Amino acid sequence: MSEQEQGELNKRIETVEKERQEYLDGWRRAKADFINYKKEEAERFTSVAKFANESLLLELILILDSFTLGLSVLKNDKDAEKGMGLVKLQLEEVLKRHGLEKIPISLGKQFDPTTQEAVGEVVSGSPPGTVAEVAEDGYTLNGKVLRATKVKLSKNKSKEK
Amino acid sequence: MAKILGIDLGTTNSAMAVMEGGEPRVLENQEGNRTTPSIVSYSKSGERLVGLLAKRQAVVNPTNTIFSVKRLIGRKFTDEEVTRDKAWLPYELRASGQEGVEIKMGEKWYKPEEISAMILQKLKLDAEAKLGEKIDEAVITVPAYFDDSQRQATKTAGEVAGFKVRRIVNEPTAAALAYGLNKKKDEKIVVYDLGGGTFDISILEVGDNTVEVKATGGDTHLGGDDFDKIIIEYLVDEYKKQEGVDISKDSLALQRLKEAAERAKHELSTAMETEINLPYVTSDANGPKHFLIKLTRAKLESLVGDLISRSIALVKEAVTAPAPKGAGLKLTDIDEIVMVGGQTRMPAVQEAVKKLFGKEAHKGINPDEVVAIGAAVQAGILQGDVKDILLLDVTPLTLSLETLGGVSTPMIQKNTTVPTGKTQVFSTAADNQTSVEIHVGQGERPLMADNKTLGRFILDGIPPSPRGVPQVEVTFDIDANGILNVSAKDKASGKSQSIRIEATTSLNKEEVERLKKEAEMYAAEDQKKRELIETKNQAESAVYMAEKSLREGGDKIATDVRSGVEEKVKKVKELQEGTDVELLKTAITELSQEMQKIGTAMYNKDTSADPQTEEEKKSDTSSSEDQADANNNDNANNNN
Repeated sequence: MSEQEQGELNKRIETVEKERQEYLDGWRRAKADFINYKKEEAERFTSVAKFANESLLLELILILDSFTLGLSVLKNDKDAEKGMGLVKLQLEEVLKRHGLEKIPISLGKQFDPTTQEAVGEVVSGSPPGTVAEVAEDGYTLNGKVLRATKVKLSKNKSKEK
Repeated sequence: MAKILGIDLGTTNSAMAVMEGGEPRVLENQEGNRTTPSIVSYSKSGERLVGLLAKRQAVVNPTNTIFSVKRLIGRKFTDEEVTRDKAWLPYELRASGQEGVEIKMGEKWYKPEEISAMILQKLKLDAEAKLGEKIDEAVITVPAYFDDSQRQATKTAGEVAGFKVRRIVNEPTAAALAYGLNKKKDEKIVVYDLGGGTFDISILEVGDNTVEVKATGGDTHLGGDDFDKIIIEYLVDEYKKQEGVDISKDSLALQRLKEAAERAKHELSTAMETEINLPYVTSDANGPKHFLIKLTRAKLESLVGDLISRSIALVKEAVTAPAPKGAGLKLTDIDEIVMVGGQTRMPAVQEAVKKLFGKEAHKGINPDEVVAIGAAVQAGILQGDVKDILLLDVTPLTLSLETLGGVSTPMIQKNTTVPTGKTQVFSTAADNQTSVEIHVGQGERPLMADNKTLGRFILDGIPPSPRGVPQVEVTFDIDANGILNVSAKDKASGKSQSIRIEATTSLNKEEVERLKKEAEMYAAEDQKKRELIETKNQAESAVYMAEKSLREGGDKIATDVRSGVEEKVKKVKELQEGTDVELLKTAITELSQEMQKIGTAMYNKDTSADPQTEEEKKSDTSSSEDQADANNNDNANNNN
C-alpha cells in the first residue's frame, strides 16, 4: 500500500471513528432521554391521578362551607340541626375517602402562612399576630394545600390607638 | 448540559419554563402552582416570605408586603409613573442616592431590583428542586416599553438572585417565539397582552430571524382586576335591590362574593349563563340571608364593554398613529395577532380583536404561560437545544397483514416514527392447515384487496393440528431507512421464513395522498364490508364449535337438543352466503343460545358423576372458546 493510500485510509478511519462516536453519543442520549421520559411520565401520571379530583373537590368544599354556615344558624332547631349535621358528616366522609383532610388549627398559636391565609384582624385576649378566629376551614389533598384556612389574627387594642 | 430557565417576571404573577427534549415545559413552584405571585413580604414574626405565602398575609401586613415592584424597577423617584403609583401603593417609598427608588420592608430599605431578586431566587430554588439539577442561567422577559435603565435593573435583579442572565427578552417577542412566528418573513404582528393589572400592546416586525418592536402602547392600569371589580360592584348593587342588604359591609361575605365572581367570570368564557349561589352569605335582624343571582354572558359583556372598547381604541392608536406614538401602519397591514394574559380568554375580548383586524388571533397556548414558554424557547435557542440534528422518518401509511376473509390487520400504524417493530401471534383458520400465507400490504383501507401489496410469502411445515392451535409469530420491523423486514415463525416446529421490502417510507407524495383520500372516501362502505366479513368469520367459528360439540358429545346429547342445534347451524350456514349482517348476527346469537342447552342438559345429566369428569368437561369448553376467539385473527389462506 502506498503512503498516499495509507494516508487516505487513516483519514477515512479518523472520519469514520468520529462519526461513530457522534452516532453512539446520539444514540445513548436518545436512549437515556427515552428512559428518563418514561420515568418522568410515570411520575407525572401518578401525580395527575393523585390530584385529578382537585378541581371537583375544591367545588365540593364550597358546599361544605355552606353546610357549616347553615348549621351555625340552625342552633335553635335541634332536630333540623342534627339532620343537617349528619348530611354534612356524610359529605365530609366522602371527601375524606378521596384524600381530603381538614387542616388542624389551634387558636392562640402563631400564624402560619404555609397553611393559613389571614383575612383580617380582631381584638382578642391572645398575643398579637396569633390566630384568633377561623373564618373558613382549610383543606389538604394528599399533603398539598388545596385551600388555606382563612383566619383572623389577634391585634393589640392599645396598638390600635 | 445545564438548563437555562425561561422566566416571565410579571407585575402580579411570574411563571417559569424550561426546554425538555425540544419542547417547552412550564415548571410548578414548591406550592404546586404554575404561576407564582410576584409578592415579597417581611412578616410580623420576622420572616421573609415570597410568592403565595406573602400573599396570604398581605391583608394584615400591608405596609411590609411588597407587590407590583415591576412598576418601580429601574425608575427615577421623580418619574411621573412613580409619583402616581406612590399615591396608592400601601408601602413606603423614598428617593435613594442615585435618583432611584427605595422601598421600606420591615426595618430596612430595599432597591426594587433587590425585591425582584427575591422573587427570582424563589423561582430558581423551586426550579432546581423540581428538576433535581442546578440552574445557573436564565432568560428573563420585560415589557417592550422598558428603557435601558429598567432592563439593566431587571438584569441586576437576575444576577443578585444568582443567575447569569443570558438575555433580557421583550415579552411580546417571547409570545411570538412561543407561537414560532420568528420563522416568518416580513410579517407584522400585534401582541395584545391583557394581564391582571396591566394592558400592553406591541407591534412587532419579523424579518430574517430578527424581531423589531415598531411601537408599543397600552394602559399600565387596566387589567382583569378591573373586570372583577365591575362584576362585584354590579352584584353588590343587585343584592341591595333584591334584599335591601349592603353585602360590601360584611368583609367575609364580600370575600366569598369576590371568589364567586371570579369563578363566574371564568365560567362565562365557556357557558352562556351561570348562577352565583352563596347560601347563608350573611344575616340581618330577620335571620340568615342567601345570595342567588343569575349572570349571563350578555350581561357580563355589557358590564365590561367599556373596558374592552377602551383597549381596542388603544390598539387602533398604537397601530395607526404616526411614529413615535404608533407604528404608522394600516390595520390591514397586520399579518398576525397574538393574545397574552388570562383576561384574553374572554370570548368578547377575542371577538373585539377579531373584528378590528378581520382575522383570528393565535390563542392555542395558555395565555398565562405563553410568555414564560417563549422565554424557554429563547433559552433553548441559546443552549442549542432546538436544533434537531437527527431527522427521524415516519411511516406514511399503515402496514398490515391479511387475515381471515381478506381483512387487513394493521401491524404498524401510519405516522409511527421509525425505526420500530411489532410482533403478534396469529393462528390457522382451518383444521390440519400446514401452511400460512403472509401477505403484507400498505394502506388505510380495512380490506387488503383495496390496499397496495408490498409482498407475500408462505410459511409451511406447520404440524397438522386443529384450527387455532398453531402459534405463528409474525414480526414487522422497519429500520431507519424505511426497509421493512417481515418474518413469520411457527412456534411448534421452529420453522421460519422472512421477506425484505425496500423503501416503504419513500412513496411519492401523490401516491400517499391518493391512498389516504381513498381511505377517507370509502370509509363508510369499507366499514360495512369489514363488518360483514367479521360477522362471517364469527359465524364460521360458531358453526365450527357447534359441530365439534355435537361430534364430541355423541350419544350424551338428547335428540331434541341435537336437532335444535343442527337446525340453527343450518340457518347460520345459509345466511353466511348472503350479505345481511343483521340477520346473520341474530342467527349466531340464536345458535349460541341453543348451544347453551347442550351444556345445561349434559350438566343436569351428570350431576351424579364424579367431580373429576365434571372438571374435565369444564376445561374442555373453555379451551374451545379460547380457540374461537383466536380464530377471529386467523389467517385465511389455507394452502392445503
